[in-house]
Amino acid sequence: MAKAPKLKDQAHIVTANHLSSGDVVYLTIRNDWSRDIAAAFVAPNAEAAAAWLAEAEAQAARNIVVAPYLVPVDGSTTPPRPIQFRERIRAAGPTTEKRPAA
Amino acid sequence: MYQYDQIDQTLVDERVAQFRDQVARRLSGAISEEEFKPLRLQNGLYLQLHAYMLRIAIPYGTLSSRQLRALAQIGCKYDRGWGHFTTRQNLQYNWIRLEDAADALADLAKVQMHAIQTSGNCIRNTTTDQFAGAAHDEIEDPRVWCEIIRQWSTFHPEFSFLPRKFKIAVTGSPNDRAAVRVHDIGLRMHRNADGETGFEVIVGGGLGRTPFIGKTIRDFLPKQHLLSYLEAILRVYNQFGRRDNMYKARIKILVHEIGIETMREKVEAEWQSIRDGALQLPQAAIDQIAAHFAPPAFERLSGGVTPDYAAAFRTDFEFGLWARRNTFKHKQPGYSIVTISLKKEGEPPGDMKAEQMLAVADLADRYSFGEIRVTHEQNLVLPHVKQADLPALFRALKAYDLATPNVGLASDIIACPGLDYCALANARSIPIAQQIALRFRNWERAHDIGELKIKISGCINACGHHHVGHIGILGVDKNGEEFYQLTLGGSADQDAALGDILGPALNTAQTVDAIDTLVEIYLRLRSGSDERFLDTYRRVGLQPFREAVYAAA
Repeated sequence: MAKAPKLKDQAHIVTANHLSSGDVVYLTIRNDWSRDIAAAFVAPNAEAAAAWLAEAEAQAARNIVVAPYLVPVDGSTTPPRPIQFRERIRAAGPTTEKRPAA
Repeated sequence: MYQYDQIDQTLVDERVAQFRDQVARRLSGAISEEEFKPLRLQNGLYLQLHAYMLRIAIPYGTLSSRQLRALAQIGCKYDRGWGHFTTRQNLQYNWIRLEDAADALADLAKVQMHAIQTSGNCIRNTTTDQFAGAAHDEIEDPRVWCEIIRQWSTFHPEFSFLPRKFKIAVTGSPNDRAAVRVHDIGLRMHRNADGETGFEVIVGGGLGRTPFIGKTIRDFLPKQHLLSYLEAILRVYNQFGRRDNMYKARIKILVHEIGIETMREKVEAEWQSIRDGALQLPQAAIDQIAAHFAPPAFERLSGGVTPDYAAAFRTDFEFGLWARRNTFKHKQPGYSIVTISLKKEGEPPGDMKAEQMLAVADLADRYSFGEIRVTHEQNLVLPHVKQADLPALFRALKAYDLATPNVGLASDIIACPGLDYCALANARSIPIAQQIALRFRNWERAHDIGELKIKISGCINACGHHHVGHIGILGVDKNGEEFYQLTLGGSADQDAALGDILGPALNTAQTVDAIDTLVEIYLRLRSGSDERFLDTYRRVGLQPFREAVYAAA
C-alpha cells in the first residue's frame, strides 16, 4: 500500500482491508468495521485521528484487518468524502467495472 | 507444449500445501502480516487498492485449452467471472479472498500451473514471442530456451533474493515481438557466420522510472552455454547491484553506472570460471526439452487461397479487415496465426470474461491443436489455424465479441490496471484507453491510419510500457487531479527506442483530444499511406506535433 499522507489537522476516517476477504473496510463508531464508507466514524481533528488509528492498529494486531491508515475527508458531507481521488475510487470501487460483485 | 514430469508436479503440489499452511497460520494469528507478506507475495498474492489480487504465471505465454478452461473456472469459482491478461503474459484475478487463495492454487496445480515467480526479487516468469513455433520469420523456437530457463531459475537458491526483480525475454525471430531490448536480459537468437544458431545477449534494458534500452554484452553465445552465461550475469548483478535504494537496484542502473565494458569484463571473468561446469547443456537434454515443442500434426496443404476464404474476403467487409490485421504468416503452408483482440472498443484492455475463455478454449481445440498464446500486448493468439477455417473461426469469435479487427491499430492499446485497481498508481489508465478506442472505432479510418501503438501507464513504474509506445501516455497526480504526460517515438521492437516527452501534462479531456490531434498531424505529414506514424515522427521530429497539440490545448 502507498504511504499514508502527512497528517493535517483536519477530519479523517480510518480504512483497512479485512484480513480474510481483503475487502475495503472502514472503522465505525462501534469499533467494528463496515464495507460502507457512510458508516465510518469521522475523527474531527489530527489528535482524534491519531487515537482512532491506534485503535485500528490494535485490531490489526488482533488479525481482524490489514494495513490500517487514515484518510483525510471532508467531514461536512454525508457520507464523508475523501479528499484524495484515489480514496474516492477505493471507496466506490473501480470506475470501469460494469460487472456486479459476487 | 511442455508437460510436467513428476518432479515438476511434486514441486507445485508441495508449494500449494506449504502455502495452505501459511494462510491458515496467518488467519489464526500464529504469524503476523509482516511475516506473512513476503510469503504471500512469493505465491503471487498482492494486496491491491480494493482487495487481494492473484497473479498467475503463464510460462512464456503458452496455454493449453485445458489450462484456459481452468482459468475460466477459477475466475468463476473464486473471483467475479473474469481475468485480466497482463504485459508480462500473465493473468491476474482482482478479487481473490485470502481464505480461498490456497484452493485457487490447488485448482491451478491440477492443470500444471502456479503463481511462482510472479512477485518478489527473483527471476520472474520468462517471456517470449507469442508466435513462437509458428511464425514464418522464426530462426528457432524460443520456447525451448524459455523452458530451460524456467527449470534453471525456479527456486534457484542463489537468485531468490536478488537486489530487485529480474526479467528475461527471448526472441527467436529477427522481428522482435518480445521487447527484448527493454528487459533485464534480452536474448535474440541469430546465426553466426558459420550458420550456427546462438544468442545475442542484451543486458540492462528496462522501463520504470529510469528507462534504458539494453546494451549488447555478447554478440554471439553458443546455445550450450546459455545457462552458465546467464548465471554469470546474475552473479555479477547479485554481487554489485545496489541494495541500499530500491529505485536504483535494477541491473540497468548497475550497467549504466559501471558501463557496459566493465560489466562485460566482470561477466566474462565469472563465466570463464563456470562455463565448462555443470551448467553446460548436453545436447541430449536440449533435445529432450525440444521434443515437448515438436510441431503439431499439420496437414500438407498447398498454401493457396481456398474458395471459402476468397469468397469471405470479397463479400464480408469486416472479415476482410480482420483477416488483414489479425492474421500473421505461418511457417507451414496453408496455415495462419490468428491474434484474438482483447481490445473491443469500450472494454478494459486485456480483460476477458470466463465465457469468452471457455469459447476460445473450444475454438483452440477445433482449429488450433488446443494451443493458445498470451501476448505482452494483452491479446490472445491461436497459433496454428488452417486458412480454410478462418471464415468460420471469425464468425465464431464474433459471437463472443472477440473478432475486433484492430491488432496493431490505434485502439489496440496496452493499458496497465491503473488507479482503478492498483495500489501504486497515480491515475487511471483504463478509462483513457476506452475513450481513445472509441475515437478510433471507425474501421476505415483506423485502417487508413495503420500501425499505431499507444501504451498507457498509470504511474512511473511503467507496467503499461508507455516509454516504448509510438504514443506513450503516463498518468501523473497534480494536486489530487489526474493528468497525463505524452511521449512520442518510442518502440519496443527491433528498432527499440524510448519516447520523447511532448510537453506539459494534459488533463483527461485534453489527452484524448491530443491523441486525435497527433493522428491528424501524422496523416497530414506522412509521405504516403505506407509510412507508419512512427516513421513519420522519426522523419519530421517532435516540433509539428508539439505545436499542434499545445496550440489546441
